[in-house]
Amino acid sequence: MEGDAPITTYRQVLSVAKLSAPLHPISVHFTVALLVTSVICDGMSFVFDVPSLSEAGWWTLVGCCLSTPLTLLTGLVSRMHLPMQESVARSFLRAHMALGPLVFGLLLVMTLWRAARWEEGQTVTLLYLVAVIGVSLVMTLQGYLGGELAYRYGADVKESYRELPGHPPQDQRPVLLSRPLARSERPEERSTS
Amino acid sequence: MTSAVFLELGPFQWLAIILAMGTGVLFFDALVGHYRHRFGYRLQYAPLAVGTLVILAAVLAAARPSVTWVITALEMCGWGAAVTGLVGFGYHWYYGIVKKPAGLAWFLHYLMYGAPLLFPLMLTSMGLLAVIVAAGLSGARMVFGAPMPTALCLFVAVVLLGSILQAGILHYRGAFNNPAMYLPLSIPVVTVAVALWVAESPSAANETVFAILLWSTLLIGFTGFGMHLRGIDRQMGGLYVALFNLMQGPPQGVPGIFVALAGVGLVAVYLL
Repeated sequence: MEGDAPITTYRQVLSVAKLSAPLHPISVHFTVALLVTSVICDGMSFVFDVPSLSEAGWWTLVGCCLSTPLTLLTGLVSRMHLPMQESVARSFLRAHMALGPLVFGLLLVMTLWRAARWEEGQTVTLLYLVAVIGVSLVMTLQGYLGGELAYRYGADVKESYRELPGHPPQDQRPVLLSRPLARSERPEERSTS
Repeated sequence: MTSAVFLELGPFQWLAIILAMGTGVLFFDALVGHYRHRFGYRLQYAPLAVGTLVILAAVLAAARPSVTWVITALEMCGWGAAVTGLVGFGYHWYYGIVKKPAGLAWFLHYLMYGAPLLFPLMLTSMGLLAVIVAAGLSGARMVFGAPMPTALCLFVAVVLLGSILQAGILHYRGAFNNPAMYLPLSIPVVTVAVALWVAESPSAANETVFAILLWSTLLIGFTGFGMHLRGIDRQMGGLYVALFNLMQGPPQGVPGIFVALAGVGLVAVYLL
């Protein structure tokens, strides 16, 4: 595609399509959205006694539990491609990594609990709802940590950014220099002059 | 004995699934550990070969529980894994401790820094679990001279105790630098005691306590997964230098043993 000219042909569409998108920030939404939907459906089913909402609550939880291994796997792959030196961001990353498998364990427990209710043809109990809301809070914390990494530090997604027209590149990868920079070429000198 | 069905799978199908997953995590850690040793002994390939067979047989048994040759294959793989684990224990004992400089005089040192002594016995235990599953699928109500639920409770108690000891010695090596490293020495120890109690005199009350402890042990296993992952990432370069740090960091699969054993206990409590 020529510069920043508007897209007018299908060939140009194909040329800008980027299939190497970071998968973890995508797949995580399935886990989060399906759990939240399950909690809402089960909660409404408990309050208004609507059997179809209970069914929806069960099947969305199944979807959540099945999609979470993919989320974990893509997270690992993302980390393996992400160079990150010791920093505040890496503290967020470590906490995010430590919490991930526990969230999956909690989801597994909740799914087995929910499966037992579903198999007996019963709707959820208040105790179940309290527990699943607790798991959702842990998931919220996990999501917050991931959100900090992706949206504040650009972890995993930054390399996929395109610069807006008219905006200078904000972050360039360091390059090896064949000669030392002259004083006038150094960034700190340029910023003060 | 009345066996319950959960999600259209019988208790021994669930045990076969747990067996496949438990052997899978063992396979992973054996691969990493033996790769780190550059497969210096040809026998270091044995747990990988036997583990693969156990996993395949277990998956087949879960999918086709009534096929006779599948049950026979599972039982044979189980005995093979049990023997391989015992041979591995001998190797880890001799080459990991006795043959090292100062040998048994530095027993504690080599327990911590040599080949993990009890780890091969985990393969033996998975082999025995395969034998139990095969017996259950063929309709036996007794195994190793005990009723099936009792045998499974004893299995959980003994193997969990071994896992706690192995985790204890390695976390001691790590100077318990994180309070979470005490977790395997907390609730799982009580779980072992209650498993023995349930095996000796089962009742509704102690089975309820046992179930709560097993759920807690299961979650401790998942916590271990996360903390070991964090431990690997704390190394220089973290998972960006994945292969190197996988070999230097805490064993990633081992907490899965706690999950698997808790799963076995839960099947015994709820479905048998």
